[in-house]
Amino acid sequence: MIVDVALFASLASFQPDGLPGRHSRPLEFPEGFTISQVISALALPDEPRVIFVNGRHAEESTVLREGDRLAIFPPVGGG
Amino acid sequence: MDVKADPRAALRAATVAIIGCGGLGSNVASMLVRSGVGTLRLIDYDRVEEDNLNRQLFFREDIGRLKTEALADTLRRITPEVTLIEVVARVDAENILGLVAGADVIVEAVDGAADKAMIVNACSTGLPDVPLVTASGLAGSGSANEIVSERIADNVYLVGDLASDVRDGLPLFASRVMAAAAHEAHVVIRVLLGYCEP
Repeated sequence: MIVDVALFASLASFQPDGLPGRHSRPLEFPEGFTISQVISALALPDEPRVIFVNGRHAEESTVLREGDRLAIFPPVGGG
Repeated sequence: MDVKADPRAALRAATVAIIGCGGLGSNVASMLVRSGVGTLRLIDYDRVEEDNLNRQLFFREDIGRLKTEALADTLRRITPEVTLIEVVARVDAENILGLVAGADVIVEAVDGAADKAMIVNACSTGLPDVPLVTASGLAGSGSANEIVSERIADNVYLVGDLASDVRDGLPLFASRVMAAAAHEAHVVIRVLLGYCEP
């Protein structure tokens, strides 16, 4: 299945194409893949993160579906 | 949501919850009060310290006071009729939904990355229809023009340069922190007026 994946800020460099930029890329994953399996497959660092699927918050256990828009954002400190 | 016909009435009728009354939250609060927002829930557990004065809306005589209480006093000096609900609590995943109950918009204004993620995750799960404004990336001396506001999900707005992390030893300058606070406050105002985009 194809999932549209956007990785924000420091995570952008973990896109498989190695190109800079937080724009989304269509990536292929096996059917039934969960968000946590995507995180493992992309080797994202174990840091605080916020996950959205199709504009709504999603848990890492969520099973993705064809055409889903996945966005992962890592907050940084300061306030 | 339609754009409000009477902006002043819309702001006066609104309740905004501000989680964290430090560099971001204290300045967001003053801008919202000056803009006519009627009710603020000020949420913080901490007391004013001397090293807060470089960027937070406190004064030397506030040192040692609860931030919620000192901030509320200052806000009432600006607008005596504003309704301020002082919530002295440390926000966690269990208590957060109760602490922000009744808010039309929630502002994340805390310091740590893990707390920011917890707040966004908890609010957008438990209160998916309440707009949330969060900030990430405001430390250091980079250009203030790198600080932007954007809509990253249906009801989540993100302010900052997304990258400048205090954890990297970057200092917090009042000018850049307040630029981010102004973005947060202005997103709140636009959302309350019925605009969907920041």
